[in-house]
Amino acid sequence: MANIVVFLCRCFGEIDNTIDFDFLRKELSRDPSVSSLSIVDSLCLETDIEKAAFQIKETHADKVLIAACSTLSRGNLTVDGLIKEGVERHKIGLVDIREGCSWIHGNDSEGATKKAKDLINMGIAALQHKEVSEDISVTVNPDALIIGAGPAGLAAATSLAKTGLKVNILERTNAPGGMLRLISRCYPDNEDASDKLEPYIREVETNPLITLHPQSKIASIEGDTGNFTVQFSSQGKDNSIQSGIIIVATGAKIFFPTGLYRYGEIRNVITQMELERQFLKGSFDAGKTVFIQCTGARNKERPYCSTICCPISLKNATRLAEEEPGPEVFILHRGIMTPGNTLEKYYRDTLSKGVQFIRFEEERPPRIMGDDHVDHVEVYDAVNGITRKIETDLVVLSTPLVPNNDNARLAQMLGIEVDRYGFFSEIYPMHPLETKMDGIFICGSARWPVSSDQAMTQGEAAAMKAVSYLRQSEIAASTLSRVPGLKSGHARVDPDFCTGCGNCVAACPFDACHLEKLGDRYISTVNMMRCKACGSCVPVCPNGSMQIPEHNYRMVGEMIKRAF
Amino acid sequence: MNEPRILVFACRWCGLIGADAAGKKRISLPARFRVIPVECAALVETDAILRALAGGIDGVAILGCHIGGCRYNNANQTAIKRMELLKDLLDTTGIGSNRLLFSFGTAHEDYQFEEIIKNFFDELAVLSPLDPWLAPFGVIS
Repeated sequence: MANIVVFLCRCFGEIDNTIDFDFLRKELSRDPSVSSLSIVDSLCLETDIEKAAFQIKETHADKVLIAACSTLSRGNLTVDGLIKEGVERHKIGLVDIREGCSWIHGNDSEGATKKAKDLINMGIAALQHKEVSEDISVTVNPDALIIGAGPAGLAAATSLAKTGLKVNILERTNAPGGMLRLISRCYPDNEDASDKLEPYIREVETNPLITLHPQSKIASIEGDTGNFTVQFSSQGKDNSIQSGIIIVATGAKIFFPTGLYRYGEIRNVITQMELERQFLKGSFDAGKTVFIQCTGARNKERPYCSTICCPISLKNATRLAEEEPGPEVFILHRGIMTPGNTLEKYYRDTLSKGVQFIRFEEERPPRIMGDDHVDHVEVYDAVNGITRKIETDLVVLSTPLVPNNDNARLAQMLGIEVDRYGFFSEIYPMHPLETKMDGIFICGSARWPVSSDQAMTQGEAAAMKAVSYLRQSEIAASTLSRVPGLKSGHARVDPDFCTGCGNCVAACPFDACHLEKLGDRYISTVNMMRCKACGSCVPVCPNGSMQIPEHNYRMVGEMIKRAF
Repeated sequence: MNEPRILVFACRWCGLIGADAAGKKRISLPARFRVIPVECAALVETDAILRALAGGIDGVAILGCHIGGCRYNNANQTAIKRMELLKDLLDTTGIGSNRLLFSFGTAHEDYQFEEIIKNFFDELAVLSPLDPWLAPFGVIS
């Protein structure tokens, strides 16, 4: 027989002016599981919490039911206060009779009293049938692993090394730097890319905490938060690394506009990347230049805006226009995307340099005229409705960034997801840079096309998020919650009844369930480091062998029975 | 017009916050509904809904998060699919799919919570009560 102490909070008349506490007292005294009932003025006050805790200890109560305000207003203060006084969390039940009852049924005292009685009965049922989940904790490997040595990866590595942690970087090519090695200057401060990269590369080369593995190829990734094992080959040699977290900074690749605007067919139609290569080689005489924006982007196939192509065009157009004597530079666009304070100023600066902007429509793209080289470009000006003929020596196509080909493969190994285009997807509304696997972070263009300085910011942010994991010597599975506070529990399988149908494996949004062999049959097992206790596995289980102990079917059934 | 009884399964991150906000604004609501907080709308078993209806509760409402705003990696999308299937089942068995209400994304705001609950009460008030209808078949345990 459970021995439950019930506290009814008056909230200084806020609750008992609507709800008849005498009736509740009479009803609850008939319940055999309730050992004592006390009415207090306000349970959120410290003195009352102390008194309640004293009473709980004196009566040797098994469980405590508090009927007061909701968790979101002050109920959590009461619960936290009782926990501080030494009452265990799973022994406390909270029923909301203020927001959920007395305040919304102020004009129906009888109904509110009946509802309060039912809610308290449901709370008693919940307390009686609630079970406690198991919890595990693992030792955390304090090393970090970063995949990709571009600006994002380098920034993450240096800031992790600054905190004194060991960092391994896997790089596909033979030198660090990523896409910054291919370009001449960065927007918006027109800094030389090599200058920007130099301190990071020096740090990677000199800091003993950072190890770079060039020409590496990942074979497999195993493990969970705190203990990942990565098998890879670097410069032809097989190797394996243990790490506590993984930061994915693999970047993106450049879209090749084959077939668009006669690229590859005639000379003098080049991409921004080829223009950057010319700049890297030294100064060159471009002559009259036309930039065409949104080449292969913001169309049916790739409806997203790559965000970096407009500022890049502004950067290169200014650079060409600044030369003496400046050639005429045109930017044909479908709306210039320069959000933010710095980029808008950048746009205005470009305008003042004499660069001309012509807006065209998606349905009537510019046409490249000429036999073996560009003679002129015909464009329908969407603003004043006339077709313009621009004589030019060079056409530069602004192409978007597209995801790497092996993103899906890497995502599968990591246990994370890619979005509909192939970029790695983060937990969207409230957890930037975090993926559905705790301890795996994404940053830079692997997540979404970003400029180099944004990539570095994201890299540092991901590093700081990683530090919060690596600085703990042990991580308990219950603390890996994406929500304020602890997890509400972990799913539990009854191994005697599980038939191994695999429905839970398909339903789990966090890949926590998997089938394991037990004797001659398969049963489902829950990986607590991944389980978030959302309960997606519970309704799909055909025989109820999968349960959340804190919210099991007996408890729900009993609550429903007592609801009216 | 009978007085319907409603059981609400409210997701802790949206529906329950809406209910709480309605309480804080002291919006007046009919008293014959009870809220069971759940961690996620995906946790609500179809079994529990059927048990509630079989027990004579006139309507069951499931309030979850906005689509794309789920705290648990879009777990509520599977819940929607399950509820759609359950609606078919309720229609087939003659209980009627209008006794099941699910709302994803509209319950976070207090006035929308009020609207949903009041409308659901109005809808159920014109239906005959489930209680006497089920009792002769021995469904009610």
